[in-house]
Amino acid sequence: MIPAAEHSAPSPDPSAAAVSEGAPAPDPHAPEPDARDAEYAHLAGLLAEHAGLAADDPRRSATRDGLITGYLPVAHHLARRFVHRGVPLEDLVQVATLGLINAVDRYDPSFGRDFLAYAIPTIQGELRRYFRDHSWSTRVPRRLKDLHVSINRVTDELAQSLGRAPRPSEIAARLGITVDEVLEGLEATASYASQSLDEVLTEGEDQATLANLLGERDSGLELVEVHETLRPLLEGLPARERTILELRFFHNMTQSKIAAQLGISQMHVSRLLAQTLATLRERARDAEPSP
Amino acid sequence: MTVTPTADHNGHIEVRVDAKAWMLPFVRTMAAEVAARADFDLDAVADLRMAVDEACATLLGDAVEDGQLCCGFAVDRDRIQVQVTVPPRRPGARFDTTGFGWQVLRTLVDEIVTLPVEATDATGPPEGAGAVLGVRFVKKALVP
Repeated sequence: MIPAAEHSAPSPDPSAAAVSEGAPAPDPHAPEPDARDAEYAHLAGLLAEHAGLAADDPRRSATRDGLITGYLPVAHHLARRFVHRGVPLEDLVQVATLGLINAVDRYDPSFGRDFLAYAIPTIQGELRRYFRDHSWSTRVPRRLKDLHVSINRVTDELAQSLGRAPRPSEIAARLGITVDEVLEGLEATASYASQSLDEVLTEGEDQATLANLLGERDSGLELVEVHETLRPLLEGLPARERTILELRFFHNMTQSKIAAQLGISQMHVSRLLAQTLATLRERARDAEPSP
Repeated sequence: MTVTPTADHNGHIEVRVDAKAWMLPFVRTMAAEVAARADFDLDAVADLRMAVDEACATLLGDAVEDGQLCCGFAVDRDRIQVQVTVPPRRPGARFDTTGFGWQVLRTLVDEIVTLPVEATDATGPPEGAGAVLGVRFVKKALVP
């Protein structure tokens, strides 16, 4: 993900809007390259002072508090972006604040980036980590969550050593649990798929494209015609989803192989594929004239 | 409803639901469950789930109003035969084999045929013609 601060033109950039929020009647589309900096400009001196103090200087505690308080609106805003995921806002703000504190403590002006360029990704990272560690447990019993994590890990390990996806019995043998327990874990995986932690963790990282995976376009593509009719639908998909779809259905790669190639789990590939197919069906239906 | 996939005899399961989109999760969950309990490798489990979903979704639009969708699974060791059918809205309707959905299905399964089976001159009208519209396919475990 591109740190927001590297955008020089903060038109409708959500991150830029994030930080300029609270300014008097801001026009989100007005080009104000320095809106964010201006809003927090009064903290620049404090930031410099804080950075200049020795680690054991007693004044550091006050400058640190001042910085954390001053930048708190940033943490608030970033927290609010995760609010649809079933975790109370207060909890999210707490996590984001923790991220902010880490950012203040670790920031070093010699990084060559301004503070917000460093703090925003740090806070977002803290929020993502929180979802990775906690959000599943809000929907799935702890035991099943652990089971899911184990099954997921072993599935990918076995896929590597076997060269194909494992059977439930093979997963059970590796984990030293019963097949029934594996089936139960798989069931939980399927039922709770849509809000899975994978979605949070890989959000925005859809850099993979078919071209850079395969080097070049497969010219011998059998189904050029189908591909052509599909192109407009495919174009609306995120790059990663489109890539997975093409690898599976136009290059006939198994889910395990796709998972290995993209560095994500087979279960995640499975979910993304199923979702993508459903999306395509909906779009195709919408495109048709009503009967 | 029983299935004994590891025993010598075959298991058979049938799911019958209203032919409505919101029913499909039940059917595809059953598909995945049948395959997982038959100890299919997880790629095959996921493929079967998607294939059933795709087949059902394709058929919904062609089902008679208030009709039911029937999905049957026959398990035989590393081989599951699935049959998805609906009562067609229009007599003589064919399962769509021209679009991406068909391509998806063909990729996901090992054998596939549309129902009713194509008539030949010798056999006259196909069995059950007009009464049923659907698809029958086979998914095998451990196919690379």
